[in-house]
Amino acid sequence: MNIMTNNIKLPKQTRLCEDINVMVAGQGGDGSLTIIALLSHALRQRGLELYQTSNIASRIKGGHAAAILRASKTQHGGIGDNLDVLVAFDEEAIINAGPSMSPDGIVIYDISRGPLPEGCLGPDVLVLPVPFSRFAVRDLRRDLFKNGFGFGLVARVLGIEDSEAEDCMRKRFKKLSKAALEANLHALNLGFGIADEFGIKHGDNLIELADAEKSERLSISGNQATALGFLAAGGRFFAGYPITPATEIMDTLSRHASKIGCVVIQAEDELSAVNQAIGASLTGARAMTASSSPGIALMQESISHCGSAEIPLVIVNCQRAGPSTGMPTKTEQSDIGMMTQGGSGDFPCVVLYPGDANECFTIAALATNISQIAQCPVYIALDRSLAQNTATVAPFDLESVKLDKGKLLDEATLKTLDTYKRYAITDDGISPWALPGTPEGMNLVTGNERNEWGQVSTEPENRIAMMDKRARKINAIRDLLPGGVEHGDPRAEIGLLGTGMETGVMGEAWARLEEQGVKTRCHRPRTLSPVLDDTLDFINQCSRIYIIEHSESGQLERLLKGAGCPAEKLRGIRKYDGLPFSPGELTDLILTREAQG
Amino acid sequence: MTTTFTPKDPVWCSGCGHYGVRGALVNALSELDIPAHETFLLAGIGCSGSIQNNVNAYGYHSMHGRVLPTAIGAAIANPDLTVIAAGGDGDGYAIGMGHFAHAIHRNASVLYILMNNAAYGLTKGQDSPTSELAQVAGHSPALDGMSMGLSIPGATFLARGFTRWSDQLNGLLIQGLEHVRAKKGFAFLEVLSPCVTYNDTYPDWDAQMYNVDEDPDFSCTDRGIAFQTIERLRSEGRIASGLIHQGEQSAFEANWIKEGLCPANLEAHEPQKNLDTLHDIMTSYST
Repeated sequence: MNIMTNNIKLPKQTRLCEDINVMVAGQGGDGSLTIIALLSHALRQRGLELYQTSNIASRIKGGHAAAILRASKTQHGGIGDNLDVLVAFDEEAIINAGPSMSPDGIVIYDISRGPLPEGCLGPDVLVLPVPFSRFAVRDLRRDLFKNGFGFGLVARVLGIEDSEAEDCMRKRFKKLSKAALEANLHALNLGFGIADEFGIKHGDNLIELADAEKSERLSISGNQATALGFLAAGGRFFAGYPITPATEIMDTLSRHASKIGCVVIQAEDELSAVNQAIGASLTGARAMTASSSPGIALMQESISHCGSAEIPLVIVNCQRAGPSTGMPTKTEQSDIGMMTQGGSGDFPCVVLYPGDANECFTIAALATNISQIAQCPVYIALDRSLAQNTATVAPFDLESVKLDKGKLLDEATLKTLDTYKRYAITDDGISPWALPGTPEGMNLVTGNERNEWGQVSTEPENRIAMMDKRARKINAIRDLLPGGVEHGDPRAEIGLLGTGMETGVMGEAWARLEEQGVKTRCHRPRTLSPVLDDTLDFINQCSRIYIIEHSESGQLERLLKGAGCPAEKLRGIRKYDGLPFSPGELTDLILTREAQG
Repeated sequence: MTTTFTPKDPVWCSGCGHYGVRGALVNALSELDIPAHETFLLAGIGCSGSIQNNVNAYGYHSMHGRVLPTAIGAAIANPDLTVIAAGGDGDGYAIGMGHFAHAIHRNASVLYILMNNAAYGLTKGQDSPTSELAQVAGHSPALDGMSMGLSIPGATFLARGFTRWSDQLNGLLIQGLEHVRAKKGFAFLEVLSPCVTYNDTYPDWDAQMYNVDEDPDFSCTDRGIAFQTIERLRSEGRIASGLIHQGEQSAFEANWIKEGLCPANLEAHEPQKNLDTLHDIMTSYST
């Protein structure tokens, strides 16, 4: 093969790994995702839990793309501190990912485009330079086959059997033509040959991966899981407009639409999307729209309207880094204010925030039901990390999902009534609801203030009665709202509080603090509006609470203060560079603040 | 009988053209024997946006400019309903223009009645995108919904009526309703409906209207002829009234109807009845 193997010293001992982070990076189209997908398959066979993200360490520049895979015995819900293995197809990958390399990490570098940039990697990082691209073009006439080479070498490094690697490739490329598959397998074998030249013979792996018992798992993103939860709860109407990072919800629903019978519409803009969903909802269909931050900003009038007119609607907000267009592919949680306090006027609105794909499923199903029961808008808050990253999770509990119609009236019940008023004032604030098409139930729905008949009224007493009625609805559904998830020592004085994308990393930071003798307890609220009592209790019980969030101004902290939490107890740990916290970074930030007293 | 809301008398000014639109709509619904509870009337914001209070039907008052997407969502979610959207020229041609173009393009079975009075009445007389129709000079040329509709290939029903010509208006409303009830797609009916308070166009429109239905040279199935006629009439200071265009194009919801899909039919969507399908979908993510 003719590669320079002279100066390369392989470590004498195989490193044992229970938790490994691998990045593949290069120019878009280099096939970084292909190698990660092949690796995922192989590592999954070992029973490891997987977490996959893309582009996290890359800048949006020149089409550079990176994919990271974490494989570990338990699911951490995020990526680790350091990269153990980096497959770099260009210089930029080394420059970007260099600082994240583990001190004894392994870099496989494609030197076709130039020599290894200097000064980016630590002295003990092992670099295996290979001109993958040149080899691929020389031997197989296409640059794309460098992935096969790369995968062959990585497989050897990680101790994936040659036959296992080949099997992965056959499964992954089963839809390719026979000739294309053969060419890829050939590339894979040439990759093994390169490993041989480096002295990494079959069975001489540099890293020994832990084996785990293989449990039944889904490999799914938050967006996909949210779409499935909606379908499970009878959701059959979706309208949306493409936007990063929310588009996969529409794509997922489209993919399954014909199987289950779901209307999926790509509207001309967000205003149309949300109002088509409102129109469907007015007929009793369970309807949802999804967008990301600026798209949700456009929908604010319509969401307020649902609050006023008492129309059920589920809105998914896959938050991205704002303000305005911001950083579309980067993560943030800076719409908490808009979701909990946005729109015009005062109206009941529920905001739910899941923490992993499994919760995305259950919360989407719950949101669909709650919106019907309370006849109001319900947000599912996601963030880019939660929305787009893929993790292995336990299968969803489909059987547990029920369809709750709330106070929907059918013809038979309507006929027993003397009078039917759409906006009847009731104790719980929820008025029985009759749908167009039902005899005897005719009514007017409006976003104007109205009397019980639905006729416009600005009469002061009626206004107060109607506002109070709508406000009461939140109490009526309070028991249905998902409470916070807690762990840690309930006697600990230090609290950690974060939600959504902070779920995994907060857990890892908690464990590391514990190892260092710092006792903490964690609380992860899953309902942000209304703020539930268990969250307030948690804050009352701690002497100081670190509010971990991705918002420069501390929107979650503001929400808690607004709900009555004492400001002096709250300490913001905030990030707004578009990247998630790493466990070590978060641990250090908390320790630093603790040291400051 | 359960007592439900009673349609109120309209709140429009005496002499407002909208009375004529409401009367024609009530006539057409009754002529076609459309049950009130199967009629869903959605209205926009503006003077025209109170018509749903005055007709015996399920009614909905949308946000300004958004009546079309809402009506389209309702029509698709429950194809058994007769869905009618109504609004004014500000609602449809100004703030809602984007939706208007896409509604024609999309061709979902909704009857859209745009009550054009060439003015913003509710906010006391500001100009609208169609104001030039009434005012001969000094404004940029008025927007013409018929020309616009003709420029969109998916258009299946475009018509213009005039409240003073009640026979033609009744006929056009019946044709429009038949079009949407037969699931042929989007029916657009612009009605010139003068605002006597802020822009009394009765005298002008009386003189300007030209009935294309009675013109033997006109063809509502030939877009070219329709477009030329509108342009020629405009150059003569006249306005075309009647059935402007009728085309064939499958309705937006046709495939869903063929599949028997009705999102509003909750019984069919009970999770327990769909467990096998849901399970198949879920396991497509198994690893």
